[in-house]
Amino acid sequence: MNRLDKFRQSFLWYSFKRDKVAIACLLVLLILVLTAIFAPLIAPYNPYDPEMIDIMNSEIPPAWEAEGGTEFLLGTDSQGRDMLSTMIYGMRISIIIGLGAVALQAVLGVLIGLFAGYHGGRLDAFFMRAADVQLSFSYLMVAIFMSAILQAVVGVAKFGEIAIPFLVLVIGLSQWPQYARTVRASVLAERKKEYVEAARVAGFTSSRIILDQIFPNTLSPILVLSTIQVANAVMSEAALSFLGLGMPIDRPSLGSLINSGFELIFSGAWWITALPGLLLVILVLSINMLGDFLRDVFNPKLYKG
Amino acid sequence: MLSRWLQGLVSSATGFAHIRAGLKSQEAIGMKKHFMLTLLLVLALTGLAHAKTLKLAMDADPVSLDPHMQLSGGMLQYSHMVFDPLVRWTKETTIEGRLAEKWERLDEKTVRFHLKKGVKFHSGNELTADDVIWTVNRLKESVDFKGIFEQFNSPLKVDKYTVDIVTKVPYPLLVSTATYIFPMDSKFYSGKDDKGMDKAAINKTGYSFANDNLSGTGKYTVSERQQGVKVVFEAFAGYWDKESPGNADKIVLTPIKNDATRVAALLSGDVDFIMPVPPQDMDRIEKSDSVKLVTMSGTRIITLQLNQNRVEAFKNPKVRQAVVYAVNNAGIAEKLMKGRATVGAQNSPKGYAGHNPDLTPRYDLKKAKQLMKEAGYEKGFEVSMVAPNNRYVNDEKIAEATASMLGKIGIKVNLKTMPKAQYWDQFDLQVADIQMIGWHSDTEDTGNFFEFLLMCPNKETGYGQYNSGNYCNQEVDSLALKVQAETDEVKRTAMLQKMEKIAYDEAAFVPLHWQDLSWAGKKNLGIESIVNVMNFPYFGDLVIQ
Amino acid sequence: MIAFMIRRLFQALIVIFIISVIGFAIKQSVGDPVRELTGISVSEEERVEFREKLGLNDPWYVQYGRFFGDAIQGDLGTSFFYKRPATEVILEKAPATLELVFVSSLIILLFSVPLGVFSAIKPDSLFSRALMGSSIVGVSIPVFLTAIMMVYLFSIKLSWLPSYGRGELVMLGGWGTGLLTLDGWLHILMPSVALSSIMLPLFIRLIRSEMMEVLESEYIKYAWAKGLTHRRVWFVHAFKNTLLPVITVGGVQLGVTIAFTILTETVFQWQGLGFMFMEAVERSDAPLLVAYLMFVGIVMVGVNTIVDLIYGLVNPTIRIAGVK
Repeated sequence: MNRLDKFRQSFLWYSFKRDKVAIACLLVLLILVLTAIFAPLIAPYNPYDPEMIDIMNSEIPPAWEAEGGTEFLLGTDSQGRDMLSTMIYGMRISIIIGLGAVALQAVLGVLIGLFAGYHGGRLDAFFMRAADVQLSFSYLMVAIFMSAILQAVVGVAKFGEIAIPFLVLVIGLSQWPQYARTVRASVLAERKKEYVEAARVAGFTSSRIILDQIFPNTLSPILVLSTIQVANAVMSEAALSFLGLGMPIDRPSLGSLINSGFELIFSGAWWITALPGLLLVILVLSINMLGDFLRDVFNPKLYKG
Repeated sequence: MLSRWLQGLVSSATGFAHIRAGLKSQEAIGMKKHFMLTLLLVLALTGLAHAKTLKLAMDADPVSLDPHMQLSGGMLQYSHMVFDPLVRWTKETTIEGRLAEKWERLDEKTVRFHLKKGVKFHSGNELTADDVIWTVNRLKESVDFKGIFEQFNSPLKVDKYTVDIVTKVPYPLLVSTATYIFPMDSKFYSGKDDKGMDKAAINKTGYSFANDNLSGTGKYTVSERQQGVKVVFEAFAGYWDKESPGNADKIVLTPIKNDATRVAALLSGDVDFIMPVPPQDMDRIEKSDSVKLVTMSGTRIITLQLNQNRVEAFKNPKVRQAVVYAVNNAGIAEKLMKGRATVGAQNSPKGYAGHNPDLTPRYDLKKAKQLMKEAGYEKGFEVSMVAPNNRYVNDEKIAEATASMLGKIGIKVNLKTMPKAQYWDQFDLQVADIQMIGWHSDTEDTGNFFEFLLMCPNKETGYGQYNSGNYCNQEVDSLALKVQAETDEVKRTAMLQKMEKIAYDEAAFVPLHWQDLSWAGKKNLGIESIVNVMNFPYFGDLVIQ
Repeated sequence: MIAFMIRRLFQALIVIFIISVIGFAIKQSVGDPVRELTGISVSEEERVEFREKLGLNDPWYVQYGRFFGDAIQGDLGTSFFYKRPATEVILEKAPATLELVFVSSLIILLFSVPLGVFSAIKPDSLFSRALMGSSIVGVSIPVFLTAIMMVYLFSIKLSWLPSYGRGELVMLGGWGTGLLTLDGWLHILMPSVALSSIMLPLFIRLIRSEMMEVLESEYIKYAWAKGLTHRRVWFVHAFKNTLLPVITVGGVQLGVTIAFTILTETVFQWQGLGFMFMEAVERSDAPLLVAYLMFVGIVMVGVNTIVDLIYGLVNPTIRIAGVK
């Protein structure tokens, strides 16, 4: 029996087939992610190419509005950039940052969670106390402070070049406790089980036991958590960019697009804020709903909060 | 409006309470009725008396009550409300007397000012020549103002109401500089306060007597102040200027930093007057029935400086010209500024002595590419650029637009924008190859632009302090120095215009535009007659119909 | 109990010390306040002199020593912008934020409990399903977007509600409250709803899932078997047991809420700590930034301690000394 057959017989696939909402969400998400990956092929313009930007095209409304034209389907922003293309590229940045940040926090959190949970003692106490402190401050605030400090360290003029890895770092570093706690909880539960005892008696090293035996059993909570965390990371990025601490204006993410349109929304150019806002909500919503579905299927014990 | 409606509901509810209370005792009804009528009458009368309150929203409120604490538009605006200057600018950029009744030039270095008699400070003290002398001496102590008053000696008292203001060298701009002299109440600000500190002390970062207390000769006193939240100005009963038509008895100033929110507050009737007005909302305000918009061409030029010390290519005038030709500043003025700016090709706006009418904007992409080719930079190069994001109207968007315009001639720009508090530091360090700066001449004269922006940077003389392009031309420098002492207007004008021409030909900097000044308010306000290019509406003269 | 309190206090001190170090690092790097304080035509020489006067030219450890020495005495420095002690400014701005958090907590509490309980008791009803559906949409809309949409709709399009500021305030001692005037309530309505927009769905879902879990448990089955009334089982036996996790999460989420006040206050120009914080960042007003950080830190540590104490009271099976 190969892996595919195995998967098709699994409970996950069975529940998925019967859940129309989950299917729809996955479809939407797939479309969005594929659009983002193939942005250069799909987007009608390249928003980073100055040749394609003309200030004289600024603030053209979407095609269906009275003053809109077919040239720019969703209108243009105040710089004269095509909204549709800018949004697609912006979503790409949002997704990259979201995935990158989650990968970083997952690696950090899982490692800390595994080892702290398995070894216990002072190491455990230290990391969990640190997690407490950081969690009580909330990721957004930690991120705000970190970005303020880091911007100053690298120098403001250079900041534009390193904005993406920087945001990944900020959001990633500020959210590892979520993983650490969840994984630690599963480790604590697994540690007492017989197979771990058996492995220990058989003389396996502790890192072998942790990685080969315990880790696979923590996968389902990690999967569920990761889904929610991607949505969270995308939202954090948007919030930081909205406050002007995120992506620079010439390479906007969805959050910085919303921010740049904010001051224009009252004077009639609603689409510069509303359309990226809508896209952001759809993206986050579809991820969140999938996360919900996975949670229902696996029903893991996640750390609450 | 829901809020109005709810307020109405509450007041009628209290009305019911009155009536119900009245019903309890039949005898009391007559009295109650009488009482309520009186109450209504009183309300109506106080309503009338308070009708002349102006609710004002600006982007910021005064940072201190001490007019010498900071030299900024906001503080000068405040000074015009609670202090009065010796002389002030009119709408036509001429100078009119305020506390000085008349003045005459005695020699190249001296102007004699005759003060109005019987002018009272808020404290009740009378304004005398001593106050003027005291104020000028204090200005020379102020970190921010001492630059402007560098040339000034301590003034000489002639008699109680006459004072000679003397400069160290011949100084043609003496009278315009006197617009910065807002006499302070020397008796009020002398001595020790209850903390044992000198009342005259100027402190930028902590407590000082003058930061929290004031006595001026202006129309208003400050009756309530919550920094960053609101300032209430109340008319001073003993104000000297009985001829002023102004009738606003009370001004409530609320700072609303966000442009969109400020406009929304005006349109919803929460405030009566706003300044500045963001260009993107001007059309909407003009179309509105209840409010009006007043604009004037401004005198602050927005420019980009190309740093020749950082980028070899910018040493080549052809490359600099290519940059100027590539920047569609007319497009920026039309689209980003919504036509609410005057396209520039030089520093001096129309009306300035140095304004050279022959210099016209030069956007031409083909020519720009051609120039890049001629200079040998056909393939282009990469540069960094910084700009503020809360200093000038739409500064961030303008920077972004110019960055992509330069991209079209192969100059790849890495742009970073930041709040002004961080910006000027970076500007001084010259962290980027292209830097944005807007400049308004404090003296309303062309020379000032060159002294700060285009003369060769020199730490000792202080010239070229904001010349981050490091443009340096000995001819311009010597002209700029000669102009300072030239009192012959014709010669002076010719020299200033020549300076502009050289800067234009050599593409010393990238001129963008002069942003319009703008104010908006309810239709019943006589805004037109109180505004001026200095952007300090004289609220004391405001007529509310 | 006392041992627990002492331990907590000790931890709090460590946390505050760490915050002070971070705060000081920020102070060093947010930019030069001198530029913000002086006019543009002031010469470089003057600025150097001024910097010297402010002690900004000393080595960083000297500056930190000075900062820490003063901080223990409750002096967090003088705000460059307000020209008053930073603690004083914080205390003046705190009521605005606390009222905002209070009203939005009230909204969360008033709605999440009945809605959460209902959807747990009747999970299959149409209303419950609609509620679950809309709550996940609610979690997915960023706070600032909700706020912008509300301003657009209620202030610009309908002009029902004011879009900025706190409205008319009544001074109660040093506490300027907007909760005693109608105008104040009209002003707080939108910001507090926006602020609660992300927490409310979270709490509804939390209460629902906890309650459902409890309803499945043995002792509830036993209670049913005893023939107790529905009301008694739901509200006395089941709901009481869902409170525990709700309190813990509530404590943790307070931090998130305070972070979100930064976003909400920015959109509504609400004159509270969050607005002040963003302005201080823009103005490089380091003493104020550090004071804000310390203030938030102390509030967090305080709230967490209280949560732990309540936790101990509500759930006697956990000995306080052994918490976590």
